[in-house]
Amino acid sequence: MDDAPFRPWLAVAVGGGSNITYVEQYLPILLLMVVVGAFAGGSVAGSRLLGPKRPTGAKEGPYESGIAPRYGPAARFPVRFYLVAMIFIIFDIEVVFLYPWAVMYRQLGVFGLSEMAAFAVVVFIAFAYMVSNGALDWGPHQKRGVPATDQLTRSTTSTVRRVPRPHELLLGVGPISMEDYPEPEEPAAQPAPSP
Amino acid sequence: MIGLLADVVGRVSDQATTSTTTIPVPCSISSGGAKITSVCSDTNSLHISVAYRSILPVLVLVIGALALLAISAVLPKRSRPGLYALLTVAIGGLALIASVWQWSDIGNINAHVPAGAQAALNYRLAHQLTIGQQVFYDRFSVLFMALVSVATILGAMTTDSYLRREGLDGVEAYVLMLMAGTGAMLMAASAGLIMLFLGLEIMSISLYVMAAYHRRRTQSGEAGLKYFVLGAFSSAIFLYGVALVYGATGSTQFLEMANFLGANSLSHNGILLAGMALLIVGLGFKVAAVPFHFWTPDVYQGSPTPFAGYMAAVAKAAGFAGLLRVLDMGLSTQQANWRPAIWLMAVLTLLVGSVMAIAQRDLKRMLAYSSISQAGYVLVGLQAASSTGTAGALFYLFTYTFIIMGTFAIISIIQGRGEARNDLGAVRGLAKRRPLLAAVLLVFLLAQAGVPFTTGFLAKFYVIQAAVQSGQYVLAIIAMLSAAIAAFFYLRVALLMYGTEGEAVAGAPGVSGGAGVSGGAGAGDGSILAGLQPIPSLDGATATATLLDPPAVDEKVRLPVAVALGICAAFTIAAGLSSPMIDFARHATTLFNLK
Repeated sequence: MDDAPFRPWLAVAVGGGSNITYVEQYLPILLLMVVVGAFAGGSVAGSRLLGPKRPTGAKEGPYESGIAPRYGPAARFPVRFYLVAMIFIIFDIEVVFLYPWAVMYRQLGVFGLSEMAAFAVVVFIAFAYMVSNGALDWGPHQKRGVPATDQLTRSTTSTVRRVPRPHELLLGVGPISMEDYPEPEEPAAQPAPSP
Repeated sequence: MIGLLADVVGRVSDQATTSTTTIPVPCSISSGGAKITSVCSDTNSLHISVAYRSILPVLVLVIGALALLAISAVLPKRSRPGLYALLTVAIGGLALIASVWQWSDIGNINAHVPAGAQAALNYRLAHQLTIGQQVFYDRFSVLFMALVSVATILGAMTTDSYLRREGLDGVEAYVLMLMAGTGAMLMAASAGLIMLFLGLEIMSISLYVMAAYHRRRTQSGEAGLKYFVLGAFSSAIFLYGVALVYGATGSTQFLEMANFLGANSLSHNGILLAGMALLIVGLGFKVAAVPFHFWTPDVYQGSPTPFAGYMAAVAKAAGFAGLLRVLDMGLSTQQANWRPAIWLMAVLTLLVGSVMAIAQRDLKRMLAYSSISQAGYVLVGLQAASSTGTAGALFYLFTYTFIIMGTFAIISIIQGRGEARNDLGAVRGLAKRRPLLAAVLLVFLLAQAGVPFTTGFLAKFYVIQAAVQSGQYVLAIIAMLSAAIAAFFYLRVALLMYGTEGEAVAGAPGVSGGAGVSGGAGAGDGSILAGLQPIPSLDGATATATLLDPPAVDEKVRLPVAVALGICAAFTIAAGLSSPMIDFARHATTLFNLK
């Protein structure tokens, strides 16, 4: 018990010879928390109490200095950005580890080089996996399924109703009746070709 | 023993405290020409020599996972359906071979232990505490590495069939499985709390994704999210426990913790006890011990079935490996404090798991509660805090791997496409339709119930024996009572399988007429005996209909699944008759007893 090592971080050890108690150790942290709370609360309260308030419609809007939104955002949008974020993180982390290695390059020697090579291989495989899964395919989505069998009874002319274009509306004297654009008659369903 | 340990490790930690700038320098304790496995700050080199042999199976799994990813990146999509599963089986086999080699290698190390207690301890520390003193190279680690390798092989065999049926593709399932196995191996081999936490996170994050792997099944996503939120919470609790234990003992290394706690008595051990409690909570969550078990039924039910089996085998084993390392090594001097807590947890786990499983009508939920109950027996072995208890717990975990993975493999066959049928009725008449499958499932059920001539009996016998040897008679009696309770729901499934289907058909008009309670209640039918009919809480017609309908699913057994089931059943019976496994388990506890 007497030859127990002096452990300054461990005040409860018997025979440590230390008079520091836990509360005293953590007092700075406690004080810091109090200061942080006081600063945050004080800032909010101060701006509430002291700041002038002249609200206008523009100021109350969601973007004070931007264009007021006229439509709600699209309900669904492609989340391809997370793939870019992942690729970024892959290389970000690699660079984070490359920097200290570059600093200690000579001391680490071959060991460091081989370790970094192994690390780079791991990162590269992750990158190759992401690319193979289309992380960098930004073009129009390519259909990979089998093309549907042609149904001659249903084509563009038979299913799409022609809607007058704006210039047609402008040229006309009034609303164009739909009789001008009769729907093509749907041909009678043909029996399925026997195999 | 503690004194000796204190001598060696204490010297190291003293240096750490006196010199603030240098790292501990135990370079001098190596002998026999082996590699020095620690940070040597007296030389001007930052080179950490890595004893790759101590993590050989881990390396195999990691490199295998990377190779799988690289191959999948090169090959066109869906080119070779069974290729990844085959490669995963090969990787698992390599890891198994590596761990077998490690076992004999440790035998070589043990054969050359020099005479004299101090010299022997130095020798062991030099050879068995490797890679910057972060990894134990002992048979305890190796046994768990073999366990994880086996679980990976079985998991890959059963996963392939499941993924094809569900129309899920991808190499990711196998990569995640390999990574989860890596984390589990590192947990078992950890020599400190930091390494334990790293392994825990590697394993857990992979398992979260695996739980949510079935993209088109909402329950799967729900399971993944639940597991993730609760698991992240438990990881945070574990980490807080690490911080508190470090604050109380001044180290995160198990041996140094034990050394410090053996050499010093704390006048105020509140911090240590709080840290210990948080560690037990964090690891108890992973092993699904009551009262930290609430995630288990939901996650097992929602996860893809083969992954649920993998989770039940690997996550549980790794969690218990962590518990054994922390409690039996790091906090071995605090037994008076943690043994009552583990006692209570064991009793609760046994009883709640067994009783709640009876109330389940879903096969996977029932198995989840069953696995909770089985965790209780391992806790009984842990609570004994003796080498027999540890050996019993190791034996239990190893044999349970085969049993639970086989059971989940069979459920993944009979549940049909889209996991349509998970209810108890799905097994009705299985003996008529697939006699061999029913027989194999019967073996697993009997093994879980603890019937003699199976590994389940021996496993329960060893842990209860350890409890009796350490004087825990009440715990032993509760464990046996719980086995009797649990036998009910295992045998209920068996009765449903072997109940005559003709009676159910005879009652079919009653079922279709809505008078379901009377329908199917034939005298020869096992349903009354199985306790299925007199449950009043359910609408009679619905309940009977769901229970009596024979599942209209394709119960085709593919070859890999059949092989996996054969392996599991053969091991369960063969190792239950005469088991060299318990000798392996006894050998695996060596580093716990340096006397």
